[in-house]
Amino acid sequence: MSKEKIVLCEDLADIMPPEYQELVETATFGNQDRGWKDIGSSKELIEQHSLCAGCPESIAFRYILASLPAPEDTVFVGSTGCTSLVFPHVAVHNIHSLFGNQNAIASGLKRTLKARFPDVEKDVVVLAGDGATVDIGLDMTMQSWFRQEKFTTICFDNELYANTGGQESGLMQKGFVAKMAPNGKNFEKVRLPEIAREAGCAYVALLTVSKPNRVEQAIKNAIYVAREVGPTFVQLYTPCILEIGKQSMEGLDEMKESESIGGRFVQKEYITEEAQKLLDSIKEETKARKKAAKAKKPVNA
Amino acid sequence: MNKQVETSDRKIIASKHVKLGQKNQKGQTYTDVNDIFYKAKQTPSFLTGSEVIRAAIKIASVGTSVAYPITPQSEAAALIGELYSEGYLDEYFRGESEFAVMGQCAGAAFGGHRVFTTTAGPGTLRAMENFPMWAGSRLPIQVCVTCRGINSPLSIQPDTLEMHYLLETGMLVWHAETAQDLFDFILKGFIVAEQPDVHVPIATCCDGFFVTHTKDTVELPPDDICLTPYDPYRNPQPVMDMETAPIRMMRDPFVMKSNYISYATHASWQQEIKAAVERSRKHTIPLLDGLIDEHNTDREILVVSSGTAVSQSREAIRLLEQEGIKVGLVKIKTIRPFPYEEVRQATKKAKHIFVPEFNVGGWLAREIKACIPDNERVYAGPHVAGGMTMPSEVIVDEIKKHLGMETAEAVSLG
Amino acid sequence: MSNYEVKAGPEAFLPPAAATMGNVLPDPGEAHIGGKLVPEDDAYDLAARKILAAKVPTIFPGPLVLWKWTDHVAEKAKALRELAVEAPMRLIPMADYRPKYPKIIQEYEINPNHPNLTIWHNKIDVCIFIGVHCHMANLSLKIIRGGTSCYTIAMCAMAGHEDACLSFRDADLNMIQKLTAKIKKLKSEGVESQAEPFTQFVMGPSGPLTP
Repeated sequence: MSKEKIVLCEDLADIMPPEYQELVETATFGNQDRGWKDIGSSKELIEQHSLCAGCPESIAFRYILASLPAPEDTVFVGSTGCTSLVFPHVAVHNIHSLFGNQNAIASGLKRTLKARFPDVEKDVVVLAGDGATVDIGLDMTMQSWFRQEKFTTICFDNELYANTGGQESGLMQKGFVAKMAPNGKNFEKVRLPEIAREAGCAYVALLTVSKPNRVEQAIKNAIYVAREVGPTFVQLYTPCILEIGKQSMEGLDEMKESESIGGRFVQKEYITEEAQKLLDSIKEETKARKKAAKAKKPVNA
Repeated sequence: MNKQVETSDRKIIASKHVKLGQKNQKGQTYTDVNDIFYKAKQTPSFLTGSEVIRAAIKIASVGTSVAYPITPQSEAAALIGELYSEGYLDEYFRGESEFAVMGQCAGAAFGGHRVFTTTAGPGTLRAMENFPMWAGSRLPIQVCVTCRGINSPLSIQPDTLEMHYLLETGMLVWHAETAQDLFDFILKGFIVAEQPDVHVPIATCCDGFFVTHTKDTVELPPDDICLTPYDPYRNPQPVMDMETAPIRMMRDPFVMKSNYISYATHASWQQEIKAAVERSRKHTIPLLDGLIDEHNTDREILVVSSGTAVSQSREAIRLLEQEGIKVGLVKIKTIRPFPYEEVRQATKKAKHIFVPEFNVGGWLAREIKACIPDNERVYAGPHVAGGMTMPSEVIVDEIKKHLGMETAEAVSLG
Repeated sequence: MSNYEVKAGPEAFLPPAAATMGNVLPDPGEAHIGGKLVPEDDAYDLAARKILAAKVPTIFPGPLVLWKWTDHVAEKAKALRELAVEAPMRLIPMADYRPKYPKIIQEYEINPNHPNLTIWHNKIDVCIFIGVHCHMANLSLKIIRGGTSCYTIAMCAMAGHEDACLSFRDADLNMIQKLTAKIKKLKSEGVESQAEPFTQFVMGPSGPLTP
């Protein structure tokens, strides 16, 4: 939808709930330079959430929504879990269907939107938890990569099944004692970034959500590469503070600790040559565009 | 009922699609379904059921089809691939399992395409979680179910047990007797399922091999006309394309906040799906010329059946007639919505009602028993399963045996 | 087949969907009143009289008329505002369909998951649904019929709603204007609006601008 179409009918605008009036007035739809820095100065696309206080997923949601290059033409596909309680409150179309079939849904959706809107780039983004991505849905996750489906998969990795109460998942670290792993998990954390790389993802990133600029860059890279090159994957550590016994203000520390040297979430990226070329050219273009815009501005403005 | 819907019109509300009368990229003219079936010249062709599916999809203006190999639908699914490569569909690919395929179909339908797929037996069951999801999400996807046995033990042969599993999914379930039915049901099925007041998925079922792999004469309209395209904006729910208000929209939201009100929402949602299935009657009756076909239903002995069991029954009735035993026939075309009132009326005068079925469960007999008075009149059988044929003589024999008549010993069951 | 009459409730803990009771939707050119099919023109009169006789008649515009996602919609919104002023009727939006946390503010919005809260809170006795997606409208209409005494009217742009007490189909700009004209005419003939005096709220980006 073009930004011009995200407007209210004049004759009924004054009865709309405040959040919609604000959304129309100050959200950053149609602004190609939108990013995490808009948070606080413009209307965010997430209205409210019912996650636990201090849950890193909520901040991850905010960074991701602020980083989408074109939210007015983005459709999300989610899965069952904590994230699906947030999605109804997001000002971007999104689908929940079953637990684990998110990449199958996204495959059909992306192809259809491509066929229906050949002249508009409609970004499809999957956002699901680690249970949905790796355990019950791994087949469909990987097959969409094999088929080179051009959309982005984001995995909120909290290393367990959070919404059902803290059960073992494939992305849980070895030895962690959890429900359904009463003696501690007895196999290693699944190496999903490497699986993604080998399965054909053109861009893969693993990081925590402790630093918004890094999240923004990873999301933007992933979406740009998915448009032009092939499937992309971003794995974000969003610890479930509730189930690992932390306080609501300790999420950030947990993430910082896990991304420091030797940690499980030291940032890494796998980028194909073709994807890197594309990212470099986008970087150049953006630089040139910003420079030109600056030059155009009157000196005293 | 506040209004009797008549079959006499043989017409449903005509399409007002903007592309009506225009040509598609293959040079086919978008044509109202009434005109395709009741105005256009029909020409006989001699085709297998699989080829008939291809012929239907060729003029169905389908956006996406997703395929997965399973006997006996693989051939049809591959033939649709050929249509894709000739440019008749926008999208076609092979999924990785029936569960995934039905998800891929859902994605395409959420995005606004007309979607068609095929499956059978174990595939239907593997896909099962998706079917109520399709219905609850109001996605008018069509799946052609070429019925076969369900494991274990493994069977690739015809058996209609899987249809029983589809009955409470919230889908329309139609049962074709012949290749001609299959052709008609596929095209008419899209139109009925996509009505904005219906807008639920449809399973067009036929008996595997008996219909898919045998050749039959089928009357086909010319292939230079095709169905009007699906209009995703004539939809009881927003299309997920970011072109539709509201933009803050989740398909389909969790309504389960823990209180009574949310449970009422969920219950009402389920009722609405059932209501949508009911609404399809109004569109189906004129298009299919009624939900049932009746022959000599004033007789005391009736056979009520669906699918190829109807064909076998026709022959059995002819054999009985030669012996002076007069038997009437009711063919049920739509299993969901079930033609309760029609069956009640048609069986009013019957003293004995036989329900031959190609499955061990006898689900059709149960449906009939549940809707007619004095249901001890219903004899659930004969039944065959696992790929067995149902010789007409077996039906004759069972009817005579049940009525206390002498039967010939010649019927070989081996 | 039963002759199920769709009346204002409260009807039941979980009332049936009227379609499953055998009620059939109107054909083009028709409407239904209580489940009985009537010529469309006959329905304007009753709808107008119901609105005028109500104490708290209210329009619930949905997303399809609130957002200017096509040009045609803006005209519809204008016609709705005119209807609201002419009657007079209150306007309470159904801005979206999400289960809202922690709850909606009943004075200013209605939600399809618990539309009864808005009806009860404002003592709405007659309402019009317009611009709400059919699936969500049907949920709402049935829940309203189940637990409230509100008389529901559906101005549906598609095939209509059996779960409303009165439903139009194929409702376009012209049909909204026709209803407004009918109200005007009845008023000129001496039928007075029984609506309790009210001031339509005005909402701003940070909350209501009127008390």
